[in-house]
Amino acid sequence: MKTRTRNRRSVIPGFGLSFGIMIAILSLIVLIPLCSLVIYTAQLSPSAFWNTITRPRVLSSYWVSISTAFVASLINAAMGLILAWVLVRYEFPGKGFIDGIIELPFALPTAVAGIALTHLTTTNGWVGQFFYDHFGLRIAYTRLGITIALVFIGIPFVVRSVQPVLEKIDRQYEEAAMILGASRGETFRKVLFPEILPALISGFTLAFARSIGEYGSVVFIAGNTPYETEIAPLMIMAQLQEFDYASATSIALVMLFIAFIILSVNALLQSRVSKRVSGLA
Amino acid sequence: MELRKDSGPLKWVLILLCVVFLAVMLLLPLAYIVITALREGFGAYWAAITDPYARKAALLTLEATLWAVVINTLFGLCAAWSLTKFSFRGKKVLSTFIDLPVTVSPIIAGLIYVLTFGRQSPLYPLLEEAGVQIIFAVPGIVLATIFVTFPFISRELIPVLNAQGTDEEEAAALMGAGTFTIFRKVTLPHMKWALLYGVVLCTARAMGEFGAVSVLSGHLRGKTNTLPLYVELLYQGYDFTGAFAASSLLVIMAIIVLILRCWLERKGNKANDIR
Amino acid sequence: MAENTSYVELSHINKHFGDFQASKDINFSIPKGRLVALLGPSGSGKTTILRMIAGLEHPDSGEIRIDGRVVNQVPGSERGIGFVFQNYALFRYMTVYDNIAFGLRVKKAPKEEIDQRVRELLKLINCEGLEKRYPSQLSGGQRQRVAFARALAPRPQLLLLDEPFAAIDAKVRLELRTWLREMITQLNITSIFVTHDQDEAIEVADDIIVTNQGRVEQVGTPQALYRSPATAFVARFIGNSIPVKNYEKFRSFERGGRDTEAILRPEFISVYKKGERVQFQNSAEEGVVQDVIFRGSSLEIRVLIHGNLLSAIRSINDPAVEIGETVDVFIHRLFVLDGEKITLMDNRSLAGESVII
Repeated sequence: MKTRTRNRRSVIPGFGLSFGIMIAILSLIVLIPLCSLVIYTAQLSPSAFWNTITRPRVLSSYWVSISTAFVASLINAAMGLILAWVLVRYEFPGKGFIDGIIELPFALPTAVAGIALTHLTTTNGWVGQFFYDHFGLRIAYTRLGITIALVFIGIPFVVRSVQPVLEKIDRQYEEAAMILGASRGETFRKVLFPEILPALISGFTLAFARSIGEYGSVVFIAGNTPYETEIAPLMIMAQLQEFDYASATSIALVMLFIAFIILSVNALLQSRVSKRVSGLA
Repeated sequence: MELRKDSGPLKWVLILLCVVFLAVMLLLPLAYIVITALREGFGAYWAAITDPYARKAALLTLEATLWAVVINTLFGLCAAWSLTKFSFRGKKVLSTFIDLPVTVSPIIAGLIYVLTFGRQSPLYPLLEEAGVQIIFAVPGIVLATIFVTFPFISRELIPVLNAQGTDEEEAAALMGAGTFTIFRKVTLPHMKWALLYGVVLCTARAMGEFGAVSVLSGHLRGKTNTLPLYVELLYQGYDFTGAFAASSLLVIMAIIVLILRCWLERKGNKANDIR
Repeated sequence: MAENTSYVELSHINKHFGDFQASKDINFSIPKGRLVALLGPSGSGKTTILRMIAGLEHPDSGEIRIDGRVVNQVPGSERGIGFVFQNYALFRYMTVYDNIAFGLRVKKAPKEEIDQRVRELLKLINCEGLEKRYPSQLSGGQRQRVAFARALAPRPQLLLLDEPFAAIDAKVRLELRTWLREMITQLNITSIFVTHDQDEAIEVADDIIVTNQGRVEQVGTPQALYRSPATAFVARFIGNSIPVKNYEKFRSFERGGRDTEAILRPEFISVYKKGERVQFQNSAEEGVVQDVIFRGSSLEIRVLIHGNLLSAIRSINDPAVEIGETVDVFIHRLFVLDGEKITLMDNRSLAGESVII
């Protein structure tokens, strides 16, 4: 048996040390807290769990979170695609600057973005006033405001997913399609779009998952009116402030479940698309 | 390139659309923060950012960030080394756990620490005995910050080391070099830029984290308030100049991060060209 | 006696990667000072053998001996070997000098000694003046020579090279082959290199070990493999082989068994213009020229005989043959394959004549 273990060993040294440190830190930061979530969940009574997550106020908070996140991610998918296209295919002054600030939502603290967006979009803010005076539209403290905040934090996801794929596409595909007589629109729809689609979907999914859990940028602009603009993470926060850990955990579990479904759907779509491209069954 | 020329008008329409979108969504809020912070004059701004509570908050933010960078760097180096230079079972599961923290809502991240170290936790009596308070105290803030930035550095290092392969390390090992020699002389130069890049991203996120820290902080002014929490506190107290002045510090940090990011990306690409 | 002179010896080596068996009962020994090629198609397990000798992989069972010592439990760094990687694995962030010095520095050799050895090797590989360069600033051939020097620096007793010429373009490759052969002969260091290119193996190596599907098919000098392949695989793999099913149709050959086929090589076939003197006119075939391909120093003639398209070599000094021309073809000999068994069958009209290949 001694030879067995020795046989497995690589000539490169240092596995034990690095693996040990990795597992130790991973356990402390991720695994143990995760276990405590599982343990705590196991102690919840099913009826209390069900009662918590079916409270009308909680249900409407899920709906607010999901619907605003979905709309925001759709907007980001469209704008992200256009941004990626412009950044990859066109040359124009200031391109480097645009490429650089795309990442701003990652770098700017969400709370800071939140208060700035809120102030800008209240009915007497720079932007909010314009829309209120001309269209009677309120932005801050409505679902529209939440959506705007989520658009802000989701911008980089789609751009950064699509951009590298678009860069790698061989120009010869398009040229071949055009020489065969396809119009620009057809070429994009039939040749380019299918190539970009997996990246677009995964960018959308990442933005969607992030938006559903977003807190910092949304709490300020949401106004947090029950049944109207209360998001699910805020519901968890509210339960925590009342030290009602059971309810907080119940609501969180549903959110984790939703995130899990979103990511699984993405994985499924990705594998289907890649099957179609590679032709493997 | 002939085929591209007929895209004239469309090109400029799309560019204009992007410029307007980014100007409204990104630049306007940025400009607004700076303008509002300075609205009541530079004196008021200076007073706001040199307020002792603001200084305390900034120091706590720096402390949490430093911890996150140190721990995540150590973790990132070890994870990258063991996941890319060796083959063993369960790699995929490990990678999933490493990436998990960024897919979880920050509020839930805070929640699981409350459940782990809070009053109802089986660990609580032990911590009590040892006289350690974690949640609603600085250690909780540090842990939450580490959690939300957990994969930031390893995620940058792993692809670089994967692309580099194991030949150079094997060659060095065959010549009898030890772990630290191989690591320092052979592997580290490859991931220098990726490591710095990861540190920059980790720093940015650590300084700006709000949700998870908000759950774990006792919201004690001058004790457990980080800069973003301090911004919230001022904002909710209708001290908008103060809130935006404190925000402007974080804006400056964000701009530095963006510039560093671009610079490192360029450096990293150049380093990749060496191969 | 062979026991004493063998420097590297593998006995009953087996190696699995998951379900895949990369080495099946490998046995061979290599005498001191020889330059040996491990030749086989990709996936035949040749690189695995090399990596096991180096200690980069560990066999599931069997013994590896180097210089009479069982080294299964000895780390690669203590086996006295130098290893040249397929892509050289030069340390990209070190200069040429630091690359070559690395092995000696790790062994804590004195500074002057390192410097002396590095200078000596730089001279040997003709790379003086390049010591401050980084690997990315070298040509493919230079990188290969630096990798060679780096492996030699700690004075190994055994040099292992994994596909040493694979990453170099065709023209430089030919130069490097000759250079490497001269260098190894001059240093008199036992060497094993892996290759999938038979020309490379035949030209460079003293001995060739042919591998296929994890097994050793044959061990021998290039001439031995060429003249008397031990297995059907070797017959097909070495040289330019043309399979022929209905070889009994050729005059002066008869069927050697029921499910047999034959292997013909261009050197076994002579093509004569009608009217040219043919030594064994009676046993010559008539064939129609399908194609004439200029091969630089000779012509390759493709002739159709009994439904088989055969290739033959004809000197450019001989009278030209045209496509469509009917020619006389004489087949000197062929290999008859029966499963994995192989026999050399001479043209009957040559019986009693001395055989010269």
